[in-house]
Amino acid sequence: MTPTHASSTPGLWSRLQEKSIEQLHIRLESIVVLLGLITLMAILSPYFFSVSNFMNILLATSTIGVLAIAATFVLSSGGLDLSLGSVLGLSGVVGATFAVNLGMPTPVAVLATIGAGALAGLVNGFVITRGFVPAFIVTLGMLGIARGLALVISDGRVIYGLPEWMVFLGQGRPFGVPMPVIIFIVVAIIMHIVLAYTRYGRHTLSIGDNENAARTAGINVEFHRLTLYTLSGGLAGLAGLLFATRINSGDPTAGITYELTAITAAIIGGTNLFGGRGSILGTMIGALIMGVLQNGLNLLAVQSYYQQMAIGGVLVLAVFIDQYQQRQETKV
Amino acid sequence: MSKTVKYSTAGLATLAAVAVSVPAHAEEYGILMKTLANPFWGAMGEGVEEGAKNAGVEYYLQAVESDQAAESQLNVCNTMLERKPVAMITAAINSTNLLPCLKKAQDQGIKVVDLDGNLDPEILAAESIDITFSIGSDNVKAGAQGAEFMVSQLGADAQGPVLVIEGLSGNITGQKRATGFADALKELAPGLEIVASLPGDWDRGKAANITNDILTRNPDLKGIFAANDGMALGAMESVFAAGKGDDVIIIGVDGNSDAVKSIKSGRLTASVAQLPYLVGKQALENVKMAVEGNDVEKQVIVPTLVLTQEVMEAGSEPMLEFVK
Repeated sequence: MTPTHASSTPGLWSRLQEKSIEQLHIRLESIVVLLGLITLMAILSPYFFSVSNFMNILLATSTIGVLAIAATFVLSSGGLDLSLGSVLGLSGVVGATFAVNLGMPTPVAVLATIGAGALAGLVNGFVITRGFVPAFIVTLGMLGIARGLALVISDGRVIYGLPEWMVFLGQGRPFGVPMPVIIFIVVAIIMHIVLAYTRYGRHTLSIGDNENAARTAGINVEFHRLTLYTLSGGLAGLAGLLFATRINSGDPTAGITYELTAITAAIIGGTNLFGGRGSILGTMIGALIMGVLQNGLNLLAVQSYYQQMAIGGVLVLAVFIDQYQQRQETKV
Repeated sequence: MSKTVKYSTAGLATLAAVAVSVPAHAEEYGILMKTLANPFWGAMGEGVEEGAKNAGVEYYLQAVESDQAAESQLNVCNTMLERKPVAMITAAINSTNLLPCLKKAQDQGIKVVDLDGNLDPEILAAESIDITFSIGSDNVKAGAQGAEFMVSQLGADAQGPVLVIEGLSGNITGQKRATGFADALKELAPGLEIVASLPGDWDRGKAANITNDILTRNPDLKGIFAANDGMALGAMESVFAAGKGDDVIIIGVDGNSDAVKSIKSGRLTASVAQLPYLVGKQALENVKMAVEGNDVEKQVIVPTLVLTQEVMEAGSEPMLEFVK
């Protein structure tokens, strides 16, 4: 991050800002917007400010949140994965097929769900890095292939009736906290550490910042990309697991257009669409901004059409603030 | 930097303008629809609202952005529970997506109504969810009525290919209509052969493409049955574009306003009209009775009506009043 070039002593806000970027890799504005939204919704709706409603928000954000983590990794490396939503659907169907139709035990079915996603991601990564086909094209192709395959495997029908322990992953509530929320938060913390503080994360960001420089510095860019798409697919598989276990069935139409929502969350959270910058904590805040907005508007009985407009508006606003600030910073 | 804060505040103010504050109520009915962008669901929503106004109850209607937004509907459903309604009237996107929410609703003592028969009784039993009642048309019968009408036009000894355009893969309503049609057709006119039964995903454009393809393969196509009107209208465009408007009988299901217009102008042959407005209205009336502690039937079936140019011109059918 570029430090501020203010000649006078920086104010409290800019010092806090710099600290949060250095320590947590997030921009303070996004937290301000999130808190502002929460305050606004709490004032507008008497039903908003309660523990059970916050659990609702986190639960509603968990699937998209896991996908947004995948999107953040790929985007910040200068890549793109448009197949996230379809891979989510495919993984859920594969998992349900293993558990219901083949009668496999839960651990096998869970691994199959995540594995199916990772495999789809591996194929993406392989074609992108070895076949030199642009990521946009490959993952757009996978969007169709995975969705079609999900419909083929399930014969277009919802596969209902997962085993008890699988359903627990989606519907269980240890200590009153829904399992998908626990899984989502644990994964987010691990992935935040990976992206912000490990060599793997630094390589990811430097490839996104300047691919040639990264190559010159000795990073095996192709192999790194391959692992990133596999990771992205695996996370989509995990999201598929959360989705399927939550509704106790593998739904071949699950996750349509979720890739766009996931990318939106990542960008609201400050990920650069063209690579070089991204943080999972930021993305989580982006996803929560959308989650709070949707939940609040639902409680206020605002039609879903307006909700789409609101989220679209927030996306553009977030990038606008970001760009505005960057212009201010580069002005000497 | 302070400017940035100002911008954020401006953004929040805009959001506040979008939102409309709704005060809390003691006794509220929650209504959860699919999407109101589909005229069928729109009409059903109007019926529910009319019923609520007549009954003088407070209601709270929510819909999602599309017919396929399964998870988003589940989230809206969970949010709805926060308002603690006395009853929830739900039109689930598929037979499983709302289950966790309906279970919670049941635990909270909220009466749950299945609007338009989207839930599967077997799955409900497996999840031990006991809904108050299910209301809707009999979709198997609607399909059969379509077959009856087709046979009445072509004759019981007719020969030739027939196309069936199913709904969204995995949707129980579409499946029931398509199988209802296929079974009745086989029985009434064994000479009419269903050469293809393909999912049109409730999509007009997709149905038009399917029809084009099948017309290429079977230029002597006798009839098309589509599981909803939108798809029937799409199929009709392809049939007319191929210059076969007078040779192919096209039947849809729903009786939506576009279809009614098309039938009046002599393009679409018929639509097995569901009366979504009446379904919505009766759903609210019945649930109010249940909330007040009266017994209601577990399975309320609202009849369907074959709409043709003839029926509409005669205008003597009493149920025509509910065709919107």
